[in-house]
This record gives sequence, C-alpha cells and structure tokens, in this order.
Amino acid sequence: MTAGLNRLSRERQHFFSERDYMDSMKKIYHFISTMKTGLMLLVLLGLAAAMGRVIFPDSFSHAILFKMLLLLLLINMTCCTINRIIWFKSVFIYKRRKGFLKQFGILLLHAGIVLIMIGGVIFSCYGGSEQIQIVKHETKDISHVIKTNQVKPISMHLDDFKIEFNDDGSASQYYSFLTLLEDGQTKEKAVISVNHPLNCGGVKAYQMSFGYKVKVKHINSEGMETEDLFNEGDVLKIPGTERVVKIFRYIPNFDPAHGMTSITMRSDNPRIIFSVYENNNLLGVGAVEFGERVEIDNNVFAVFTGVEPYTVLCVKSDPGLPMVLSGGVMFMLGVCLALLTSHSKKAVRK
Amino acid sequence: MMMALIDEIIYAVLAVYAFGSVLYFRGARTGQKKVFQAAFIMAITGVVLNLLVLIIRTIIAGRLPLSNGAEFLLLFTWITVVFYLILQKKIQYKGAGGLVLLMAALLILAGAVLMKEQFGTAMPLMPALKSPWLCVHVLTAALAYAGFALAAGLALWCVWGKSQAIGNSIIYSIVASGFAMLSLSIVFGAIWAEQAWGTYWSWDPKETWALVTWIIYALYLHLHKKMESQERQASIMVIAGFVFVLFTFFGVNYLLPGLHSYGVVLNNLNLFG
Repeated sequence: MTAGLNRLSRERQHFFSERDYMDSMKKIYHFISTMKTGLMLLVLLGLAAAMGRVIFPDSFSHAILFKMLLLLLLINMTCCTINRIIWFKSVFIYKRRKGFLKQFGILLLHAGIVLIMIGGVIFSCYGGSEQIQIVKHETKDISHVIKTNQVKPISMHLDDFKIEFNDDGSASQYYSFLTLLEDGQTKEKAVISVNHPLNCGGVKAYQMSFGYKVKVKHINSEGMETEDLFNEGDVLKIPGTERVVKIFRYIPNFDPAHGMTSITMRSDNPRIIFSVYENNNLLGVGAVEFGERVEIDNNVFAVFTGVEPYTVLCVKSDPGLPMVLSGGVMFMLGVCLALLTSHSKKAVRK
Repeated sequence: MMMALIDEIIYAVLAVYAFGSVLYFRGARTGQKKVFQAAFIMAITGVVLNLLVLIIRTIIAGRLPLSNGAEFLLLFTWITVVFYLILQKKIQYKGAGGLVLLMAALLILAGAVLMKEQFGTAMPLMPALKSPWLCVHVLTAALAYAGFALAAGLALWCVWGKSQAIGNSIIYSIVASGFAMLSLSIVFGAIWAEQAWGTYWSWDPKETWALVTWIIYALYLHLHKKMESQERQASIMVIAGFVFVLFTFFGVNYLLPGLHSYGVVLNNLNLFG
C-alpha cells in the first residue's frame, strides 16, 4: 500500500516536472517569438552597429557578442514568421478576406529577412572569400577558397591586365584577362572588370584593385647584370656596394609640381621615384625615366627597365547566395505589398 | 559656361525656396489666401528652377544626375518639394509648407557650402559606378529620403502645435512609402555591392547607418498602432528618424569615409575610391 502510494507520488512528481518543463519551454518560446523581443533586438543591433562602427570600425562585425545578437534576431524572426504563417493560414486559407495582400506582404517580407540571414550563416559556415594578387603571366592556386569536395586543384592565370581611360586621363574601366585552370588544364577563359565578375562553377572572382611591380636591372662593379621584379617600397641590395636603393613608387604621369602624386593613372609621363641610402643615411632622391642608367656607386648601376602590372581579385565561393537572393526578392515583394497597398482594418492581426 | 550657369540657378533656387518658406509661414499666421497663393507660386518656381539644374547637369554629363552627393541632394530636395505640392493640391493642405520649403532651402544651402566643387563640375563616372543598379539604387534612395523629409516637416508642424495640423495617418502613409523605398534601395544596393565588391553586406559606414535609419522607421511602423493616442511621441519619432537620415547622408559622407565615398584619390589604387 505504502509502496503503491510512493509510486503514485513519484509519477505525479514526474508528471508535474514534465508539465513545468513544457510550461517553461512555452514561456521561453513565447518570449523569443514576440514582436516586443524582436524590436528590442533590432534596437540593440542598431546601437551595436552604430557604436561599433565608430569605436571598432574594422572588427565590430566579427565580435562574438555582435554575432550572438544577429543569431538571436534570426531565431526571433524565424519564430515570428512561423507564428505569422500559422495565423495567416487560419485567417485566409478558406476565405479570401480584405487585407489579404497586405498580410501576405508582411509575411513575405519577414520570411525574406529570415532567408537572407540564413544565407549569411551558410556563407560564414561553408563559404570563403580571399583577396589574391596575381602578376601578369603568373598562376595562383585558389582551391583553398572553395570549401567543397573539389578534388582537382583550381588555379587562375593572369594573361593580361589593362586599364581603359577617359579623355581626361581618369580610369574608365579595369580589365583582367584570366584563364581558369582545373588540374592544370584550361577550364575557361574570361575577362573580368569592375561590376562584371567571373562566375564559373561556384567560383566568383571580382576585380578589386591593381598595382605595379617594378623591373630593375642592376649592374655590379664587375659588370654582371641581373634583372628582378620589385614591389613599391622594396629595397634593392646590389653586391659590391654598401649603398642600397629604395624603389619608392611608380608614377604613371609625373609632374614635379604634383610631387609624389600622379596627375592621372595613364602612363603619359612615367617615372620611378627612388632613394639611395648608405648606412641608413639618405644620400639622395631621384625620379628617372625607364631605361635611364643611374650610377649608385663607383661602377655600380641600376636601370629601371619597366613595370609589370598585377591585379588584385576577390575570389569567393558563397553557397548561401541563392538563398540570400531569393530572400531579397521576397523581401522587396513583401515590402511593396505590405506598405504600398491600401490599408485594411478588417484583417489586422491582434 | 553651362556650369557657371548652374551655380547661378542654384542660388536662385535657394532664394526662391527661402522666400516661399517665409510666405507660407506668413500665410499660416495670418490665414490670408493671397499670401498662400504667392507662396505656392514661389514653390512652383523653385521646383521648376531645381528641375532646370538637374536637366542641365544631365545634358552636360550625358547621364542622369545620380552619381555624386550634390546631384543626389538636388534630386532629393526637388522630390521633397514636389511631394509637398502634390499633397497640398490633393488634400487642400497648406500647413507645413513653410517648414518643408525651409528644409529644402537649408538642404540646398548645405550642398552649396559643403559640395560646392561638385555642383560646378561633371566628372566621368568611375568604374564602380558604371552599373545599371546605380539608377534604381539612387532613385529609390532619393524617393525614400524625400518621403522622410516631407514626413518630418509635417510631424514638426504637428509637434509645434500649429493650426491645420495634419493627421497622423497621413504621416504614417508617407513614412510607410518612404520605408518601402528605403528597403528597396538597400536591397538594390546589396545586389549591386555583390557584383562590384563581392559582398552584399560589408558593414560599410553608409550601409550601417542606412540600416540604423531603417531600424528607426521599422520601429515607428511597428509601434504606430500603439502610439495612436500619443500623436506627439509618434511625430517625435518621425523627426528623430529624419535626423538619422541627415546623418546617413551628410555625417557619414564627411565623418566616416568608406566604400561609398566616391572621391578621386590617385595613387591609392583601390578601385572604389
């Protein structure tokens, strides 16, 4: 008898604890899914973004707290959207009432935001993006950017880089002539420019920037000639002398009145700005034309023979992009239906 | 020659809007019909001159005037006043005309002071701006900003407690339309950014502050029903929203440079300014 009562008491306890648990879960779900919580999260997100942009401009969007805030907003928006779908079905499924378009628009725009955010999460988990620099005639491996089950290595070869100019010498467009290679074999040839990225089998490449490497021929005291490529800012050490040459900058259109600044990007009057040092003491600064022979020390010469362009591309794979795009379209359609159709008071959701 | 003419017309636009504003204020104080008529004529004259500047810039540059801060300012001011005049004609409302034209005059003045060099020149488009998305992104932004400016003018008139205050439902409708345009502008911008920069959202200052502005108006739209009995608070929120719009336009351009700062910087070889 006592044993039976004890068992009954244990079962009742278990039943109540399960019910308490369900009640708590319902309360948590209710709290997470309310509009009030969503608005609070939006305010927090706005504050965090505005303050973060000013205080930590480069890193605030990578902070764990900021990501947590976005995740909470995603959960809230997802729950809100599910609630809204249930309500929408119960009100509009059997009868098309007034306000259908408006409420459908509200549903679409919330669902669109959820899709955009999920697309963002997919990119951060499975996507990748990297800026790569390729000098003309160079090949760079990009396999590590594409986080898929790609077995064959993928690389990019820069065939050429060109700038198109306006009449005033300003840049009109930048072109990278590329060959996409799979396992060393040509897969596709493409020309990419700003606003016209390459899109090939999940790989996207965007024209981001460019620059020049400087070709320098140096002749040591024994008359031996060597030619190398240097970055702007590199230091050239020539055997047989204590003096070093700093290749400061390539100026495509030089004018002494503008100093180190090029008048335009078009190479109308190209110069290389360089400086010579001995034991860290500056001996002089010069601006020379291509092919001009500069005596660095007794019988030691440097000749700046030309420049080789390089392109900077952003290579990206984003499996979440189709979802983001669908979300964007849904969001736009939803916004137009919800806010630009006439207001109906009959089917306003409580 | 044509560019010098633009400068002259801009100052004329500024003067006409300012004078029209004074007349609207006077009309609201005295209630004289003739003063309102004169104010309306000034507003129409301002709109025509403002449009003339936009047309001349279009002819000189050979493209729509949407590519720099000055052009955007001229367009958004023009749309704001046009919206107000439509509202005035549609519902026979003359109340906030003084405030709306005053805002238009102040915007033109701010442009003439801060963007003087942009008003008088028409540079070729930089590569990043050569996209069909430029037109829809900037046009929707200008429509949104104009809607918010008009709503803020009407809300300020309500808060001021002047006679013939407009109903909150009209302000709500204007804000809702502005919000829809801002949302479209943000999405068009994101699609364009994905093509040009390889990322649809990069937390660039302009994007961040556009999002903050979007959040303010989203709050207003969500809370509007609850604030029906508190018209004053709702109006203050609309005014606050427009302060954020102004910061997104002027503040971000001058204080927080980023990918949207379309200046010509030679030797900095990033292609986006």
